[in-house]
Amino acid sequence: MKDKLDTLGAKLARKEMRIPVDLTVGVLFFLLGGVVLLIMPQQVAVSERDVVNGRAFPTLLMGLMMFCSALLVGKEIYKIAKKKPLEYKTVNLLVEVKALIILAILVVSYLLALWTDLFVVGAVFCALAFLIYFRCKKPGYYIITVGMAVGIWAAFRFLLNVRF
Amino acid sequence: MLQHIVPASGLLFTLQNILWINIGVFIGAVFAAIPGLTVILCVILFLPVTYSMSAIPGMMFLLGIYCAGGYGGSVSAILINTPGTPHAAATMLDGHPLSKQGRTKAALKIALYASTFGGIFSALALLFLGPQVAKFAAQLGTPECFMVCVFGLTIIAGVSGKSMIRGIIAACLGLLISCIGSDPMTSYDRFTFGVGRLYLGLDLAVCLIGLFALVEIVGRAEKKPDELHMDTSKMRDNGVITKDEYKRMARPTILGSLIGVIVGIIPGTGASEASWFSYSQARNLSKHPEEFGHGSVEGVAASESANNAVTGATLIPLLTLGIPGDGTVAIMLSALMINGLNPGLSLFTTQGDIMYAIMLGLILVNVFMLLQGKVLTPIFAKVVSIPQEILTPIIVIFCFAGAYSVNKNYFDVAVALVFCVLAWLLRKLDMPPVPILLGLVLGKMTETNFRRALLISNGNPSVFFSSVYCWIFVGLIVLAVGTILRGKLREKKPQAAPAAKEE
Amino acid sequence: MKKQTFRRICLLLSLVMVMSCALSTTAFAAGETWTVTCPWAPDGVASLVSQKAASLSTEYSDDITLVAEAIKGDAATVNTWVLDNEAGDTGLVFVGEGLLSITATMDPAKMQFGYEDFAFVENLYSSVFVLSADAKLEINGIEDLKAFVEGAEEITVATNGATGSEAFLAAALFGSMGAGDALKLVPYQSAAEAAQAVSRGETDFAVSHQSQILETYNQGGVTVVCAFDEGPIENGPFAGVEGVGEYGYPYFRNRCFIMARAGTDEEKVAELKALYDDILADEEVVEWLHDTMLLEVDTMDVEAVEEHIANVKGIVEEYIDIVQPA
Repeated sequence: MKDKLDTLGAKLARKEMRIPVDLTVGVLFFLLGGVVLLIMPQQVAVSERDVVNGRAFPTLLMGLMMFCSALLVGKEIYKIAKKKPLEYKTVNLLVEVKALIILAILVVSYLLALWTDLFVVGAVFCALAFLIYFRCKKPGYYIITVGMAVGIWAAFRFLLNVRF
Repeated sequence: MLQHIVPASGLLFTLQNILWINIGVFIGAVFAAIPGLTVILCVILFLPVTYSMSAIPGMMFLLGIYCAGGYGGSVSAILINTPGTPHAAATMLDGHPLSKQGRTKAALKIALYASTFGGIFSALALLFLGPQVAKFAAQLGTPECFMVCVFGLTIIAGVSGKSMIRGIIAACLGLLISCIGSDPMTSYDRFTFGVGRLYLGLDLAVCLIGLFALVEIVGRAEKKPDELHMDTSKMRDNGVITKDEYKRMARPTILGSLIGVIVGIIPGTGASEASWFSYSQARNLSKHPEEFGHGSVEGVAASESANNAVTGATLIPLLTLGIPGDGTVAIMLSALMINGLNPGLSLFTTQGDIMYAIMLGLILVNVFMLLQGKVLTPIFAKVVSIPQEILTPIIVIFCFAGAYSVNKNYFDVAVALVFCVLAWLLRKLDMPPVPILLGLVLGKMTETNFRRALLISNGNPSVFFSSVYCWIFVGLIVLAVGTILRGKLREKKPQAAPAAKEE
Repeated sequence: MKKQTFRRICLLLSLVMVMSCALSTTAFAAGETWTVTCPWAPDGVASLVSQKAASLSTEYSDDITLVAEAIKGDAATVNTWVLDNEAGDTGLVFVGEGLLSITATMDPAKMQFGYEDFAFVENLYSSVFVLSADAKLEINGIEDLKAFVEGAEEITVATNGATGSEAFLAAALFGSMGAGDALKLVPYQSAAEAAQAVSRGETDFAVSHQSQILETYNQGGVTVVCAFDEGPIENGPFAGVEGVGEYGYPYFRNRCFIMARAGTDEEKVAELKALYDDILADEEVVEWLHDTMLLEVDTMDVEAVEEHIANVKGIVEEYIDIVQPA
């Protein structure tokens, strides 16, 4: 099992993707600004008598965000036209898969706590899942971490009166 | 004043008070050191303990938590790159790199000494200048508060990393997120998408957990197994701060303390704003700005002195005008009022001994914080040597418990997770998270004061230049922007020089 | 990790737990614990009174311990409370006219609850709001106010929040004086901020609890013009200040109802009511409410509560256009 995972990991580690950072940021946030402006009338009610209404500040922000995004895109287009190198960020597939696994541990811990309405269930799962993720083989670590998970829950529940 | 000092000392120096100060300091330092557990949450949780106490021990206990919490937040910021409290975020920028250089104990000590200095500085300001400072603070109205916010936003330039444009975009995002919830000026919902729980807006501490703490956990994915363990045996961390470092700490610590006091007396602001203002100014005025973000002792000293200098300053409007300087102090007001003390200048005449005992007690709290900090520093420093297998889930559990405790709701845990995903995506795009945090800290205050000032003036923007204080802030903003531009030019020069040589 | 280090950390954690345990024992005594949720600011009047009541609960009952909790959030907090609590659960919540009369009229969609979801326990206090004016305007009573209103093109009033009780009281007073169009409500984040705003002349007036304006008044920054009550204030530093009711202007008192979840055993509700009545009859509490908080003990029955809600609703419906124009 361990060998299989290592082989898969080695394969994934070789796969990389290069993202033109400024161009991506520019396009993404320009679109985000546009979307926010578009949904503003539905999401922010205003009164005619308001001197400065609730839409003014977010509109100003989105305007600035779109202007900065356009600047970034313009700069990158200029670089492409002048055949200058763009700034790239390399994304490694193995890192992203590992990040997804960690994120999954976090989400499942949260869901377990929510569904059972017992925080300690999520906490114990979280402790065990991370120990497995780190491929820990020391039984002592399992005892300590699970003990701490229960201890933290007990401290909040019984000493600080946080009911969860 | 002098006639009150002797009886106040008699009221203060009792075994009971000393004991409660130490319990408060210990709880505050440890609580704030745990990511997700903020000082305000700690005060709320332990407030019932004071119900059965009289005013002085009750206040001493809460002040112990409050002041030590100011320092405690820096502990996790230095050790695990996760600020224990929002106001320790600026400390993280240099504290953690120092720790990574094998100087964990030194970083913790710098934070402790700067915090103690800031705390005592503000306690003295409260004791000697309280009423005068309060009168000045009372004159700062809505337009002045807006100018303070604009001044605060100039910090974005300093924490944007490689690209200021990306920093501005990130700050806009933070400011936009701060708009979520009930519009403070009209009570209409904004960007809630029909989700009832969003009506309250997003809690800063919850966002911070996602933006800095949980994303740091996800960031473990970027490290190879051998990078996860810090070999502390090779580091020989003796915790020594050199003479040169002490000298370099002096100016940012004094300036930070002053900034902390000024920011602290303005109601609505708090330790987070103070630490960022101070960090930014220290960087602008430093002879080594290039060290900031890479383990600068000045950076740690500046932010820590400022966030602890807020503690005494927030008590100035509370004790003299009955206006709490920040959220935590607002809760501490309960301990006074439940004992029949309605804070204000009149109380200095009717209950002068108690008031001076509280003010003197603040100095004592800081002294005990220093003593306890010296004992706790070596123990805290050992956290970096805890195996990641154990430390990682424990941090997550504390973060989840902390997020839940804010509003006693799992919704906030989900919000923290959403911010974690957002922070991860932004990290992939090299977007700095600190401007988002700044936007969140300053957003509501900026917008509210902007709109309220224009509401008062019927839309006339000259309101922002209507007082001498406004002009002082305009001057400070111009100065800050000028220093930033000078710094940027300085940064470009060394890059341009080698390029010219190559040609 | 060295064993010694691990032992030290364990020792530290144990110490924290032992200390917390000791502190919690002092705070939460034995018996059935009822958590009282205040949906407003932890430093607000309601939260402070709730804490005071909670601190005395064990003196008056061996079976019930009250634990005060403040989760700022207004309707959102009460929505959550209603969702999380069922009949018979040991939870209490505060609701006032702000939720049952104002929010219910202005923005009913925001509320996932109604009066029928609660079982009334007791009214915690009754507060008479006051109108204070910038001292420079020299307005010392309702006659002065009338004269000011007649000549004013614009009247600015600082309130705590945009659509709270304070905003509606201001709207009702100036609206009934025929100055609704000239009225400009300036919302602040807290009552203390509103009090400071009027004292430095940022606004002409402010509406607040008496205790919240007291220090500013003592320092000479404001004058207290009138009270939002039937007659003049009888006690305290503002004794003698005229009530707007004397002139036929609308008013209401601010009240804070302690509610259990609907369907909770009637005997239990009666037991809780008796406990609160005992606490509110305590001489120390009465004195504290009068002298420090400038409030009144005002125990009520269900009919009086319903009457109060209906009265405020009537005022809200009449003056809603001034507070929140379409």
